[in-house]
Amino acid sequence: MATPETDARLAAEEAPHLTLLDANEDISRPISAPAWRFWFLLGVVGTIILWAGVAWVVQIRDGLGVTGINNPVFWGVYIATFVFWVGIAHSGTLISAILYLFRSGWRTTINRAAEAMTIFAVMTAGLFPLIHLGRVWYFYWLVPYPSQRMIWPNFKSPLVWDLFAIGTYFTISLIFWYTGLIPDLAVLRDKMTGWKSKLYGVFALGWTGSVKEWRHYRRAYLYMAGIATPLVLSVHSVVSWDFAMGIVPGWHSTIFAPYFVAGAIFSGVALVITIMIPLRWAFGLHEYITEYHFENMAKLLLLTSLIVGYSYAVEYFIAWYSADPIEMASFRWRAVGAYTLPFWIMVFCNCVVPVTLWFKKVRTSLPALMVVTILVNIGMWYERFVIIVTSLAHEFVPASWGNYTPTWVELSILAGSFAWFFFWFLLFSKTLPTISIAEVKEHLAHEHHD
Amino acid sequence: MSTMIEGTGVIAQYGSLGAATRAVEKLRADGFEDLEVFSPIPAPQLEEAMGIHGSPVRRWALIGGITGCVTGLLLTSLTSLAYPLITQGKPIVSIQPFIVIMFELTILLTGIFALLGMLVHGRLPTLRLSPHYRKAFSEDRYGVYVGAEPHRRAEAESAVRATEPLEMEASG
Repeated sequence: MATPETDARLAAEEAPHLTLLDANEDISRPISAPAWRFWFLLGVVGTIILWAGVAWVVQIRDGLGVTGINNPVFWGVYIATFVFWVGIAHSGTLISAILYLFRSGWRTTINRAAEAMTIFAVMTAGLFPLIHLGRVWYFYWLVPYPSQRMIWPNFKSPLVWDLFAIGTYFTISLIFWYTGLIPDLAVLRDKMTGWKSKLYGVFALGWTGSVKEWRHYRRAYLYMAGIATPLVLSVHSVVSWDFAMGIVPGWHSTIFAPYFVAGAIFSGVALVITIMIPLRWAFGLHEYITEYHFENMAKLLLLTSLIVGYSYAVEYFIAWYSADPIEMASFRWRAVGAYTLPFWIMVFCNCVVPVTLWFKKVRTSLPALMVVTILVNIGMWYERFVIIVTSLAHEFVPASWGNYTPTWVELSILAGSFAWFFFWFLLFSKTLPTISIAEVKEHLAHEHHD
Repeated sequence: MSTMIEGTGVIAQYGSLGAATRAVEKLRADGFEDLEVFSPIPAPQLEEAMGIHGSPVRRWALIGGITGCVTGLLLTSLTSLAYPLITQGKPIVSIQPFIVIMFELTILLTGIFALLGMLVHGRLPTLRLSPHYRKAFSEDRYGVYVGAEPHRRAEAESAVRATEPLEMEASG
């Protein structure tokens, strides 16, 4: 692990002529009247969201029968997509909190966007349990409140744990992100004029950067990073227990928690790269987000890919070593049964494609990284689909076997989830600094320190 | 900057963290304790120079964490006892599954309390910015305000001047 000094030096070597004022100017420049391309993109994602909304309305009107979920596969695309987005949400806090605690300076230019991704991904993920409920208006039954009959949620149920884990994760990610934003909002308040200055001023809370403010800010930020680290590990563990606590062959496994956490970080880092490449291009942030940052993220991607690949192998080993014929049959069917194609897409995208990242040429080539990361995310969506669907479709008794095919309603809502995520990210990119101004300035100041 | 500037205090601007830190150290050595220091970046050096150590936010975080953990235990146990129905063959109060809720609430309240602590001790939010604040302090300048009694006013000005600031002005 590099020291803060080396990180500061490396960051500064790549941007030798930047000053603190440049950081203010360059990073806040994208916050201006959007060009037609922005409106066009917003229109595209807005249309997809509307279409998904229509699909949801159809489902509410006609019931869950419009989806492909039915006996025995009661969890399908919705739950797979839920797990996918919770996974995406993991990279933000990993990059922000864990790398902050390790004092890895290279996180500086990517943490803000990654944290924003976390929040938008949780907002997306949170919709799916509601959509999956069918009768969405009963969602509050999961929330502990003193109801008329004094019936409380079953706190022994992983689904209730999930509500607490995701709720906590969303809240903590939001306040962690907002705390980091306060000094930058003050920068915008001072740069802007008129109502914009007032608006940013309200959210900057009257921040002046006095040493007294920084003193408490630094501690609060450190403690938030400290608690976000175990939290990020717990959230996907809890999500994995939604499955592992059941006795379904293919789910009932003790490796699920670490396996899911590694997969979450893997897919999350992949999406950070997929988004940062066009973001850097669109906003001309080449001097801040450099090849050095992308290479580091690619290394993280390679590491987590190896863990994920190892987990796939261990799952099969455990199935074989258990000598349980049901477990063995379930895993055999996963690879060669009705869902062979999703399974092998998963293996190809998550284990074979990332092998190319061993080569520095691939790690430092942005087009190559773009292709690799998109494939990884396709692979990771399929991983969730494979785990959920193949296990439910092929349980204990042949009489209860049955396949599942998603319908247009589910696929529309899946597409809508991506549009919903990008809709928020687009709004974020034009209204808030996509790179932490204060942290970039901190690095620059250490370089110029006399 | 040879003539005396009007006002009871002096605001000085510095171009680097080092210069600001040295100025704070020198001003404190000269006996000026009414200082307000502004920085565009988090700077532990300035805290040290001002003789500030630690922050009470740590206590807020600890209290939040304990509150969350206890709330988790009470919420799960008492609600289970209020409707004692055996589910999943587990005891009514089964600590293992409840630990998940306790853990999440510990984290949740630690974070919320840390934020509250930061706001309370940092005196945020506020509608009025400090009168000694200048927009340059959110750009690339470090600011030091020295408050002085009327009889030490001239002394304060010359002490600030000796720290070679980029700019200096009076402040009320």
